Amino acid sequence: MNEQIVIVGFGPVAARLVDELLPAVRAGHARLTVVGEEAEAAYNRVLVADLGVGRTTADALALSDADALAADGVDVRLGVRVRRVDRARQQVLLSDGSTAHYDRLVFATGSRPVIPNLTGINPDPSSPVLPAGVTALRDLRDADVLRQAVDGGKRVVVLGGGVLGLETALAAAEEGATVTVVHNGPHPLGRNIDRGGGAVLAAGLRRCGVRMAGNARSTGVEHNAPDGGFSALLLDDGSAIDGDLLVISCGVRPRTELAEGCGLSTSAGILVDHRLRAHHEPHIFAIGDCAEVLCPDPECAACRNAKGPSGLVGPGWRQAEWLGEYLGLLAAGAVEDADLLPELPAEQPGVIVLKARGMNMAVAGDNSAEPWDEEVLTAGAVNGRPRLQIAQWADPEHGRYVKMTTRGGVLEGLVSVGMPRTAAELVGLFERSAELPADRSLLLRLDGPDGLPGAGAADPQSTVCRCAGVSGAAIQGAVEDGCSTVSEVSKATRAGTGCGGCHEDIKGLIEKHFRAVSTA
Amino acid sequence: MTKSADTHCPYCALQCAMTLTSPAELAPATQPGPVPVTALPAPASPAAAPAAPAALLEVQGRDFPTNRGGLCRKGWTSATLLNHPGRITEPLLKGPDGVHRPISWEHALDLAVSAVKDARARYGADAVGVFGGGGLTNEKAYMLGKFARLALGTSRIDYNGRFCMSSAAAAGMRAFGVDRGLPFPLEALDTASTIMMLGSNVAETMPPFVQHLKGTRDAGGLIVVDPRRSATAAFTSDGGGLHLQPLPGTDLTLLLGISHVVIHENLVDTAFIEERTSGYSAVVRSVNSFWPERVQSLTGVPAELIRETARRLAAGARQGGSYILTGRGVEQHIDGTDTATAAINLSLLLGLPGSARSGYGTLTGQGNGQGGREHGQKADQLPGYRKITDPAARAHVAGVWGVPEELIPGPGLPAVQLLKSLGKPDGVRCLFVHASNIAVASPDANAVIDGLRSLDFLMVCDFFMSETAAEADLILPVLQWAEEEGTLTNLEGRVLRRRRALTPPAGARSELWIMARLAEALDAPSSYSEDPETVFEELRLASAGGLADYSGIDYAMLDRGEAAYWPYPAGSTGTPRLFQDRFAHPDGKAVMTPVTPRRRRTPAANPDPAAKTMTLITGRLLEHYQSGAQTRRVTELLASQPEAQMQIHPAAAEAMGITAGSLVSLANERGEVVCRAELSTAIRPETVFLPFHFPELESANRLTEAATDPVSGMPEFKFNKVWVRPVAVPLSSNVLQTTEAS
Repeated sequence: MNEQIVIVGFGPVAARLVDELLPAVRAGHARLTVVGEEAEAAYNRVLVADLGVGRTTADALALSDADALAADGVDVRLGVRVRRVDRARQQVLLSDGSTAHYDRLVFATGSRPVIPNLTGINPDPSSPVLPAGVTALRDLRDADVLRQAVDGGKRVVVLGGGVLGLETALAAAEEGATVTVVHNGPHPLGRNIDRGGGAVLAAGLRRCGVRMAGNARSTGVEHNAPDGGFSALLLDDGSAIDGDLLVISCGVRPRTELAEGCGLSTSAGILVDHRLRAHHEPHIFAIGDCAEVLCPDPECAACRNAKGPSGLVGPGWRQAEWLGEYLGLLAAGAVEDADLLPELPAEQPGVIVLKARGMNMAVAGDNSAEPWDEEVLTAGAVNGRPRLQIAQWADPEHGRYVKMTTRGGVLEGLVSVGMPRTAAELVGLFERSAELPADRSLLLRLDGPDGLPGAGAADPQSTVCRCAGVSGAAIQGAVEDGCSTVSEVSKATRAGTGCGGCHEDIKGLIEKHFRAVSTA
Repeated sequence: MTKSADTHCPYCALQCAMTLTSPAELAPATQPGPVPVTALPAPASPAAAPAAPAALLEVQGRDFPTNRGGLCRKGWTSATLLNHPGRITEPLLKGPDGVHRPISWEHALDLAVSAVKDARARYGADAVGVFGGGGLTNEKAYMLGKFARLALGTSRIDYNGRFCMSSAAAAGMRAFGVDRGLPFPLEALDTASTIMMLGSNVAETMPPFVQHLKGTRDAGGLIVVDPRRSATAAFTSDGGGLHLQPLPGTDLTLLLGISHVVIHENLVDTAFIEERTSGYSAVVRSVNSFWPERVQSLTGVPAELIRETARRLAAGARQGGSYILTGRGVEQHIDGTDTATAAINLSLLLGLPGSARSGYGTLTGQGNGQGGREHGQKADQLPGYRKITDPAARAHVAGVWGVPEELIPGPGLPAVQLLKSLGKPDGVRCLFVHASNIAVASPDANAVIDGLRSLDFLMVCDFFMSETAAEADLILPVLQWAEEEGTLTNLEGRVLRRRRALTPPAGARSELWIMARLAEALDAPSSYSEDPETVFEELRLASAGGLADYSGIDYAMLDRGEAAYWPYPAGSTGTPRLFQDRFAHPDGKAVMTPVTPRRRRTPAANPDPAAKTMTLITGRLLEHYQSGAQTRRVTELLASQPEAQMQIHPAAAEAMGITAGSLVSLANERGEVVCRAELSTAIRPETVFLPFHFPELESANRLTEAATDPVSGMPEFKFNKVWVRPVAVPLSSNVLQTTEAS
């Protein structure tokens, strides 16, 4: 077998698939072509905001090396777009006029930023042309634009209270920019977080120097800068938020037009089954942001609660890993093994962890229920299914808030602000669907010093010298028998003869004895 | 007459210096006695162990750079085993009734020789196998490799170091071109600003080591990575440093996350990377997808701690020095080599190896775990850390041995594969075991015991009736540490002298003597001296020009107290600190290899609705050493830790109805362990811990998987799924004490 595999798109998910397919390429089972629209090989988009505030370099974002891949025999086409897919001939037509045949075609076209409908911005969804001083934050060029503003100490307006917007705002503020976040609703992360967590989060952002403009509806942009660029964001109450750069962070939308153009079924994304195959098209697959797992079987239980693409990279990487193994088996001719490969399990709802240096926040699942919502808590609790339980801890004064929404002890939602260890633990429990300890407060104490056990030195039977296994009582006995220095005690009991860490404790016991003797 | 000898402790790789003094030459015990093997004794009845006779030797700690006069309980009580009533002092042959009875040495050697000849004649030379140990002196380890290849003519030799150091060794070879556990003297740690220890619990495994952490703890710079708040991790509280508590099996991911921060916060030592390493950009690409918040989700370690760790390591390197040390906790995995590689990559990013006051090291476990992995007990290796597949290496060693090169067999099977082959077609039919208790210490121990029972002939050299010896057709009684001369190489790569303080029991023999006699009877080519110094002189020649070159070291120099660190070519003064000028690859550079976590096999489903699936990790207790074959026979140590206990978090225990001291069962598709529960908040709630020092129903390795690392052959000891449930048993009954008499 020598299958020709073509991957459309060269972002982080495509890069992972390429890595997974390299063994098959090296073994001569497959030929691989990757088509990337950008001039660079894949890099880590998650870190574009870090690059935009000058915290890291473009090199440190790279996920693939085009030269190394070419040396391995991969056909890497950079700076080229796929214009059209000809399914009948099984070939793709590229913007440089060339064509490429495929036996298997993988869409990894990702997504593009949502540009809201604002006066002053041309909202062509397929190729938005943004005016000077307005940018999204998706690629290296966007990062450059932000970088200039941050380096110049300019005023940055971030439109959107999602996690990427908040991360950008925090990083830019920390690096010296004046930053305002404009979002609708009373608090940021409105789709994910509850009221309490949102309030504590917003307060924390303000403490970090970010101005928060909530309950705001933007209507247009003003271009009154000397160079004709952005000067203010206009709101529906007639007010304006002045700034030098507008960063649009209003979410992303899957890039499906190429798939639609060749007649594949799409909804939010390109529709694929549990083997990541496009509906009714065994030669074509889709992974990552552009793919929507929803199988053609209307009875499928796994698809009943399916949500569209999450916009997070983790699920895409898991798909790339799975598809790499699957296509590798097919290319090697092991069709039966490929058919036996267990389907990729359904994704858990995404976990959002704020990437920031000064703040800690994690949120996942559904956090809408409140502890006193009897009706909400009992909803769905039928046929022996347990009801929802809420445990909550709020300390807004100190920037801390935790909410755990569980059913049968397993998390369905979590919010943690300002408690790093608790956040890490809860996220792990959520992702593993593991049961929480019945005493939920255990999870709140991980960040405190009393997570540690008591020293226990007061108990005379407790061990003072672990290395030699000598108890406090034995040392007291030696002191009563006349030992008055650590070395005498060591000689008599072997205490303190290993790591020496208990010398101070032995000294303390000697002193205690002689104090008691002298006061007697 | 008072006689004394300056020697080193018989147990771990720290090789604490000690002086043994005998008030007089007492007659050692000769008659075999009862053997205290535990299998769930009734609670609080450890005193049932037989009262030991007065020790023949007095033990004193001796001042030395590594232990500074300190010893732990194991060292202090080590002399009580010399005249232990259970000591084997005559060759024992198993009768058809399964009972071992004394026979003469002549008879014993005849049996061994005919078993070898028989297996060879029927199945070929590779039907004879040898399993060695990291506790053997350099002389014995060297001779065992030579004996196997020339006298037995077999390629099938490997040793228990495969279960211990193989992953770190493979990673060290890959990155540095050489594997010396600590490429610097231990004292170098004293002044370090930051020390990160991963998967190592030195406070229990080698307590006197802890003295070298004091300066760093006082400076708040100790970072311990362990899923448990171990005794070592507890040192980080009260300002001593940081404890990172990752989910078991996620160490590699955590290390990638720390490396990510080093790269993204511009903490890389770029001049070092440029001049002294290759492979940097591929490593950068491989860690770019492991940003701290993602790693937090995968490991459970907060992103801020990941960042803080990276910053402290970088800051320490600019101050008093930073060290990264790995132990078995991160190495004993099917991705152990990659995990150790990730730790090395992190240290290279920071420029630690090769600098004068920073570095990377792995903490060797067994007494001669370092020397034992250098001189030919490994399946793929010849003396001097030479590759058995390298024609030049073969020619050199063949020259020293005075045999044609083609007489040296090719590479054999690594330990797990060797043990899996026992009794199988084309497998080993006749096995010699030295200094190893594989029935307890091997992964999937039940399958190993089945393998031992399927052999045509099993010979075990030991001084106690270990669980492996109990399976043997023939047991040959050998010497203990205080009865022999030799050398060991400690965790620093420093060669030490072991000295005789006592006349051995009349019926016991050195393994060198045994190999010499067997070689003679088998008409083996070359020579097999029974004198340790003569063997060492031959080892010097065989190792000359190899990576682990001992050619400049002799007994007289060691007896003068000279600190001899290998490589020590003749005419040099040895190498206390490696990599100052170059790494051992041909171009002198360290090689950075990108590594990423692999997906793991899905474990078998839990068939028991009453049991909860948890993650099992294993490790050591301060009181016991390895399989416990020795320390379980020391009254004081057994009284302190008489049985295995499963450590479990109180929250997890409560949910399952497990209380402190109640019996629990841990099972999986490989076997079952029944023991008592110990409740502790030091462990993560989804994880349980078992010590691996105990046999039979309490044998942790009944549950561990014999899947191996593709590079090193290391089995998966530290990440296994178990089904845990409480066991309702009337404690007054003896139903669980079925094997007490074994």
